Amino acid sequence: MSALDLPLRKQAAALAAGEIGVAELLDASLARIEERNPALNAVVETFPERSREMLDAAPAGPLRGVPVVVKDEWPLPWRAQRFGAAEMLTPAEPAESGPYRALRDAGATIVGVGNMHEAGASSTGNASVYGAAHNPWNPERCPGGSSSGPAAAVAAGIVAGAVGADGIGSIRFPAAYCGLTGLKPTFARSAMDGHHMAAVTSMIVSGPLCRDAADTRLLGSVLFGTALAAGDCAGLRIGVLRDEVSEDVAPAVRETCEAAIAALREETGGEVSEVTLDDLPASALSAVLIANTEGMSGIAPRRLNRLSPELSPINRGFAKYRMLLPAAAAVKAERVRALMRRRLAALFEQVDVLAWPTVPAVAPPLEVPLVELPSGTLTADQANVRGAGLANLTGIPAISVPVGLSEDSMPIGLQLQAAWGRDELLLDAAEALERANGRRWVEQRAPLAVAGQTEA
Amino acid sequence: MAALARAEDFIAAGLASLGIEADEIELAVMAAAHALFWPEILDLLALEIGEVSPERGLDLSKAPAG
Repeated sequence: MSALDLPLRKQAAALAAGEIGVAELLDASLARIEERNPALNAVVETFPERSREMLDAAPAGPLRGVPVVVKDEWPLPWRAQRFGAAEMLTPAEPAESGPYRALRDAGATIVGVGNMHEAGASSTGNASVYGAAHNPWNPERCPGGSSSGPAAAVAAGIVAGAVGADGIGSIRFPAAYCGLTGLKPTFARSAMDGHHMAAVTSMIVSGPLCRDAADTRLLGSVLFGTALAAGDCAGLRIGVLRDEVSEDVAPAVRETCEAAIAALREETGGEVSEVTLDDLPASALSAVLIANTEGMSGIAPRRLNRLSPELSPINRGFAKYRMLLPAAAAVKAERVRALMRRRLAALFEQVDVLAWPTVPAVAPPLEVPLVELPSGTLTADQANVRGAGLANLTGIPAISVPVGLSEDSMPIGLQLQAAWGRDELLLDAAEALERANGRRWVEQRAPLAVAGQTEA
Repeated sequence: MAALARAEDFIAAGLASLGIEADEIELAVMAAAHALFWPEILDLLALEIGEVSPERGLDLSKAPAG
């Protein structure tokens, strides 16, 4: 087995102990990109000289010498982010973004930039200026978006950890589609400076994508700038919803997630209770409205007459439609936000976590990203936003944890959400879930992660 | 058909008032987005949520005060 196939924390430990060489691991990661990336389009740019410079200057931090991939949403000192698009609506320059500084100070090596859905505008990852990224579990399926490349790179074993960004589920969707653990931190807990929307967003956060909870804790600690201490989640109180939208889930996903919730209850000696959270559809739309109006707040309308023809027609048309969203709806969305925050605060007095499927169906085909639900056929985006927007709208943390495979061998993810600042509890619960299933799903490897083993 | 015509009117009037130009493909994308979002936006605007107002001094990293 290559050292690249070790978990992030074990790579770090082996490097610190001198059991593997830092340059050797970087070279292995670059070789693996050459080997596996052509089928995936997960990594859109490498810069070996810059990576070696980072390595040469790396302090003895917790990730010294560990290769990681960073989403094309974060500027680097030698490279402006492209946001998966031919053109950004706001200027972008090379810069030391917060995630870059956090990784550098931890001693990590940025080995490449991860693909992303064009302008962060979809949960699928099937459109990008670089071309679609592919899912290592099945290259004909969506890897999830918008952090498509980071997720595909980790699932393919190119790296053991990657940094994404989550504005409405953009870490959790690809984590679920690619069988990874992905954390959407509490708003403002993780490194965010340098993001082109840092000054205006109330939705977007940086966060880690890894193969299991312990690695997510380690990379999360780096991004948070503080240790996310492990704790005890004995007696975990798990809340589940039984409303119309929450029940509109593909049968295999529903059964798998229900089994996982039961296993988590048993492992923690906790309890499961049905709770209510009215107006969830309104909260999803409110998240969409706020994200889309914030994103246009610095754009003069006539700027949209000069969009690059290289942008996709969907991106161009939707950018113009965003300008027409009514202000009254955006203000109403803020009132819904206040309402849902109060309701959640009350709910988290009764339960420690809320649990529901991260996405209601497994990764759809890249060419036609539609999903079949009990209510009928929906676009993946329509279906996925329902369960993801709440965390971004209200600021609470959320995590997607792999809990099974469908009949066609595509990963299924369970989302857990907790009260503000309880990111550590989500990691504890994710680890309890791994124990409950014997780490079966975090040890499972995508076919493209075992096809040909690059030695290190 | 009436709904489609109203959507086209809304989009055309909105673009004209903002001085934004759009080609046929972009207009088709906008019409699709409008068909998707507008009914939900109307539902949102009609949603009765009593006296709830946006939080003053909103801090999304914390539970709401009070």
